[in-house]
Amino acid sequence: MAQPIIEVRDLKKGYGNGPLVLEDLSLSFHPGEFTTILGLSGSGKSTFLRCLNRLVEPSGGKIMIPSSILEKGEILEDEKPELDIVTLPLGPLRLWRRRVGMIFQQFNLAKRLSVLDNVLSGGLGGVNLFPSSLRLFSTPTREQAFRNLDRLGLLDRAYQRADTLSGGQQQRVAIARALMQKPRVILADEPVASLDPKLSVTILDILRRIAREDDISVIISLHTLELAKNYSDRIVGLSGGRIVFDGKPDRLEKEAIDRIYQPERARSHAPAL
Amino acid sequence: MTASTNLKERARMHQPSKTAYPLSLPPKPKKKPLRKWALILVLLLVLAWAFSGSQFNFADLASGGPRMADMLSRSMPPDFSTLTDEKVYDFPPELKLHQLFLPVSLGTEQGEIKSRWWNNTFPQTILGATIQTIQMALTGTFLAVLFAFPLGFLAARNTSPHPLIYHTVKIIINFLRTIPDFAVGLILIAAIGLGPFAGTLALAFHTTTVLIKLFSESIENIDEGVVEAIEATGAHFVQIASFAVLPQVIPDFISFVLYRFETNIRAAAVLGLIGAGGIGLIMNSDFRMFQYPQAATSVLVLIVLVMFVDYTSARLRKMVL
Ligand SMILES: Nc1ncnc2c1ncn2[C@@H]1O[C@H](COP(=O)(O)OP(=O)(O)OP(=O)(O)O)[C@@H](O)[C@H]1O
Ligand SMILES: [Mg+2]
Repeated sequence: MAQPIIEVRDLKKGYGNGPLVLEDLSLSFHPGEFTTILGLSGSGKSTFLRCLNRLVEPSGGKIMIPSSILEKGEILEDEKPELDIVTLPLGPLRLWRRRVGMIFQQFNLAKRLSVLDNVLSGGLGGVNLFPSSLRLFSTPTREQAFRNLDRLGLLDRAYQRADTLSGGQQQRVAIARALMQKPRVILADEPVASLDPKLSVTILDILRRIAREDDISVIISLHTLELAKNYSDRIVGLSGGRIVFDGKPDRLEKEAIDRIYQPERARSHAPAL
Repeated sequence: MTASTNLKERARMHQPSKTAYPLSLPPKPKKKPLRKWALILVLLLVLAWAFSGSQFNFADLASGGPRMADMLSRSMPPDFSTLTDEKVYDFPPELKLHQLFLPVSLGTEQGEIKSRWWNNTFPQTILGATIQTIQMALTGTFLAVLFAFPLGFLAARNTSPHPLIYHTVKIIINFLRTIPDFAVGLILIAAIGLGPFAGTLALAFHTTTVLIKLFSESIENIDEGVVEAIEATGAHFVQIASFAVLPQVIPDFISFVLYRFETNIRAAAVLGLIGAGGIGLIMNSDFRMFQYPQAATSVLVLIVLVMFVDYTSARLRKMVL
């Protein structure tokens, strides 16, 4: 297979002095691949995704990326072919974050801003600091924002306030925002958990299409087995911060499913809610 | 999941479970009636102590009542001529009214007369002093916003670039905020002399400390998800503030600033009493010279002004929320 875009080696994470939430994860991600992280609540899905763009600081291990995918021009001192995200200073880390779009369960749009401004905010990493801080953008940048909105079928909503849209529409705006980054990777943390089944399918269709068309590595976390099986090129099962399955969806059989969905410890005998 | 399956799901969960298991109930918290009464007793003792310290006594209250009535009756009717009589304003005969009030070009000598009237004569009148009070409140509030806006971000846990900066700013501000504005006013008057400038600076100083607290608390209450989302795009600190924080806090900020402007109108009037210009100064000198009817007019003008500002700013605040 082609060179991986992210190679995770022995990634560890513990919050504060607490127990490890991620224990020595090692795996790679490839361009154009749609990978689902599957696991119970608390298995470490969000933590893992957030380590990949360092919204959460890993406690140990390496996350290697090819340095060629960062837009140069800044700080990158010695031209090593690979960079370790875990030890990157904030400057180059921002360069990496520009290449990584992120989609959230709660959409996380700026509610009082227009749809267009929300989409434009995805391009902040690559534009001049001062005009953009006043929400002023060049014509090509705005043109790009309109194109991305059109791609998500929301061009006519450009000037509407973001909080006047439905949940599904808001998630599409969030995807358009991520596309502004011209991302090489999209991280999506339970992007459909607040949407009804029909909309879930729409959003996942869009994400898979984008992965194929733009050769983006899409890494998504899901609760539900069925959606994961239908959409993924690859499923990674997490349980208690460890990888308990890694493979194509058709190889995911009962025994593997049990490993993913088995509670770590025996819980109390009260009915689970 | 659709709404209807959700409902069914919930109904099922609330049915008694078939496999009943023994419940170990948490212990009932014990009430402690004795503690409640002890608390009330302490409170009463503290109150009694406070009354004695403040030299509260009914005899003075009884004798003060009639004197107050006397003062009120002597200030009736208020002397509105201090507002309406043209002589009060002492218009310079060298200038026509439009030359005095409109920004027209004048010779040097006439210009001097004009500025002398505006700076010295007009502020001595009730109307002029009232306007000066408004100007003090406006300038003081504006200066405070100028400083409090950036500092508010530094004093908010979630937007401060470093915990050390956050704690430092917070501690300094909490300390400075305890200094009342008239105390600052007294210091500034001693330093730069009597007049509205000292009062304005005192307002600006105190309002800055209050606004930093209000701004930073509002920033700390925002939805962090948006901040995370913008941060994840590789955006810079300033861009995060502009796209993720500002849109969420702007309505709050406007409301706080309007509220502080209201407060500052009153504060500016009080600062006048200690010599910092404006309507307070006029009121003070009228009372001292026992010119109760004039003093009554200043009080009425101040009441009308405060009511007007309160009303307008309440309307404006409703509009932004
Ligand atoms: N900020 C935090 N501080 C301390 N512990 C945390 C924090 N975030 C997550 N955890 C803990 O880390 C573990 C993994 O959490 P994480 O959110 O990654 O799980 P998840 O798989 O995304 O769960 P869910 O499906 O509920 O979103 C949990 O035990 C959680 O309590
Ligand atoms: Mg999660």
